[in-house]
Amino acid sequence: MGRLPLAGIRVADFSWIINGPQIAQWLATMGAEVIKIESQVYIDIGRTNPAGMADRVAGVNRSGFYHALNYGKKAISLNLKHPKGRDLAHEIVRRSDFVLECFPGPSAEKLGLTYDEMKKVKSDIIMISVSLLGKTGLEPSRWVGWGPMACCFIGMFDAQGYPGGPPRQTGGTWPDYAIASSVVFHALAALRHRNRTGEGQWIDASMGETVIGQMHEWFTDYFMNGRDRRQWGNRDDVMAPHNTYRCAGDDHWIALAVANDTEWNTLRTAMGDPSWARDAKYANQLSRWQNRDTLDSHIAAWTRDQDHLQLAQRLQAVGVAAGPVLDSAELHNDPHLWEWGYWWKMDHHEVGERILPAMPVELSNVPELNYSYPPDLGEHNRDVFGGLLGLSDAEIKLLIEEKVIY
Amino acid sequence: MPNPALNDLRVIEFAEMVSGPMCGKMFADMGAEVIKIEPPGRGDEARSHPPYPGDVPHPEKSGFFLYLNTSKKSLTLDPASPGGLEVFKRLIADADILIENHRPGYLESIGLGYETLRALNPGLILTSITPFGQSGPYRDWKGTDLIEWAMSLTGYNTPTLVDDVDKENPLRAPGHAAEMMGATNAAAATMMALFHRDATGAGQWVDAPCWQATVNTSKLEMAAYSYVGIPFSRLRANVQVGLEPLPCRDGYIYTLWAADSHWKALRTLLGDPPELVNEIFDTHAGRHENDDILRTLIRQNLAQHDMDHLVTEGQRLGLTIGPVHTVAQAAHHPHLEARGAFVEIDHPAAGSFKFPRSLVQMTATPPESIRAPLLGEHNVSILSRLGYTGEDLRRLQSAGVI
Repeated sequence: MGRLPLAGIRVADFSWIINGPQIAQWLATMGAEVIKIESQVYIDIGRTNPAGMADRVAGVNRSGFYHALNYGKKAISLNLKHPKGRDLAHEIVRRSDFVLECFPGPSAEKLGLTYDEMKKVKSDIIMISVSLLGKTGLEPSRWVGWGPMACCFIGMFDAQGYPGGPPRQTGGTWPDYAIASSVVFHALAALRHRNRTGEGQWIDASMGETVIGQMHEWFTDYFMNGRDRRQWGNRDDVMAPHNTYRCAGDDHWIALAVANDTEWNTLRTAMGDPSWARDAKYANQLSRWQNRDTLDSHIAAWTRDQDHLQLAQRLQAVGVAAGPVLDSAELHNDPHLWEWGYWWKMDHHEVGERILPAMPVELSNVPELNYSYPPDLGEHNRDVFGGLLGLSDAEIKLLIEEKVIY
Repeated sequence: MPNPALNDLRVIEFAEMVSGPMCGKMFADMGAEVIKIEPPGRGDEARSHPPYPGDVPHPEKSGFFLYLNTSKKSLTLDPASPGGLEVFKRLIADADILIENHRPGYLESIGLGYETLRALNPGLILTSITPFGQSGPYRDWKGTDLIEWAMSLTGYNTPTLVDDVDKENPLRAPGHAAEMMGATNAAAATMMALFHRDATGAGQWVDAPCWQATVNTSKLEMAAYSYVGIPFSRLRANVQVGLEPLPCRDGYIYTLWAADSHWKALRTLLGDPPELVNEIFDTHAGRHENDDILRTLIRQNLAQHDMDHLVTEGQRLGLTIGPVHTVAQAAHHPHLEARGAFVEIDHPAAGSFKFPRSLVQMTATPPESIRAPLLGEHNVSILSRLGYTGEDLRRLQSAGVI
């Protein structure tokens, strides 16, 4: 492995579940030493969620949910509820560049994981706090919640849905991932600032505010025109056709997006130049957009009996923006994701060979990122307490007996 | 004074619409000098994208463009023209970063491939944001936000909890979520490359695809396939813990009742109605098994209460519960106002409007949005710095280069 971009940077990582671990994974794979602080009294629930257990056999080192988000890191087990545990955590912070946490406000305060406390431990620390709606402001800054609740609060789920229908939920836990790379960018800007000036700071990241930025046109349309865009379906502001259309099979679909007359004419030819498509209603970009509902029903009738994968290939070959909606198996077998290097085949000492997502970017000069195995619970206790903090074997043994290292 | 965090960086942005410009905005709002290269005449395609004040299209008034291009300088330039190529090369010579979102191979085709750029400036970081990346069988596929989104498991699973596959087709997220994810991933990766350059002196080529960025947002659902062997289903019947916006008296709320402690809190919140005080609902397994009945009963009870009461009381009881706002409600919410989540920006052509402020908040070097540039607003100042005279500028302009 060549030199990694963040070699020499250390992160005291108190985060868990999704967004914090995803942030730490960016930093770890790029070369930072991430020390993930867990314990048996405070275990990352990614380790225990039954839905991710390899072959449905329970075990704290067997969960795909944990593995997918925590490779590249070191893991220690330190009981923060014990006063000595808190002191040792401070010793790690004193030797770190970043502190990362993603607790709701009241829980973070109880654990002493606030910027005020952390800068007393290390004056130039860069503290990263990730939360539902930010850690300052009014009552919602103290709420308990997770990704989708941020989408609800800022209007995303109301805008998500079929026209005239109820609010619907976006798949996955979108804000957790959206906030991760945003935070990484700003945290590295803060690191650069600290390297140049010696000044640390607090990054107070709100999942709600990140998603507001992602759907900025909804807000600018409201602020400019007072329009409250609700249940928007697949409608685009400019393009038509612009939708997902049913294909052959149980639940297969193809997405089509036509941006201009050239693409429309190409699609028309690919459809076999049907007479309906010559109607003046569909003659130009604006008229297609105005008549998009009838346009959609014609296209859906054409795609209904076709194979979603083959049709996408055929349309892309002639220059129409088309994409098959892919299920789990299709994504795992997708030739592009393999060839580009998105999948990582990991051989793990407890769960054997598994397929995990690698990092979704490529750097030409850093061909090999840090893909060390997702750590077992407490795997790096000796490395961190002995190596980094310089404790003797006898001291470590005592701390284990006292359930400080636990 | 510009934000001090990145004020020593010069970034050239040769990009249009969302992915490249959003990445450029993140650098610009953090203090970098970002020179945005726009096609002479029409400018960035985002200038012809709504919304506009009063719905009247105007290239200087697109809210879409004005948000995505804060804090930048605008230079109209066609690098594909002979004179333009020369100007572009001079710009690259002392730049730190070039952000572009053209189709793979386009830069090469106009004489600006990575090797050429590296020869001009070995420390340059080239960040390419594309739908599918610089290699692989889909490299040359056309992508849009809808395509990149729909091809991911997150897209397949939007909306969640589908009852009728025939009636509920997969939906795109509001906005340009896939392109935004590509943009923020690209910004993070570019910063990595910058740290690498600061340590080694060498630049590099960053490949940041929007599709892979979006695929990556269903890591857990995909891990379940490799670890447990279960393909992800979007059908309500196959979803273990069904969460969704639920109607109350004056709107919708969002909550869950997976853990026993949550269930007890929810029951208390609803006033312990007798139909819910039933031992078949006391365990997670029981609630899961009787999801149909339970969900109906919970809906009936929620309909008796107001959103504010449910959320405030529910949170006090330790329940994970939140309101489902419309965009207009969020835009006026006192918490977001107290946080300063929106900022008023005055623009000489468009007027003064509020915009979303920044993706994250910081204490020492907060991202700061300065109004977006007019088309070609900085032509003279940028070209003068590069050593072009007034005579040169007139020549370039009449040749259609700028």
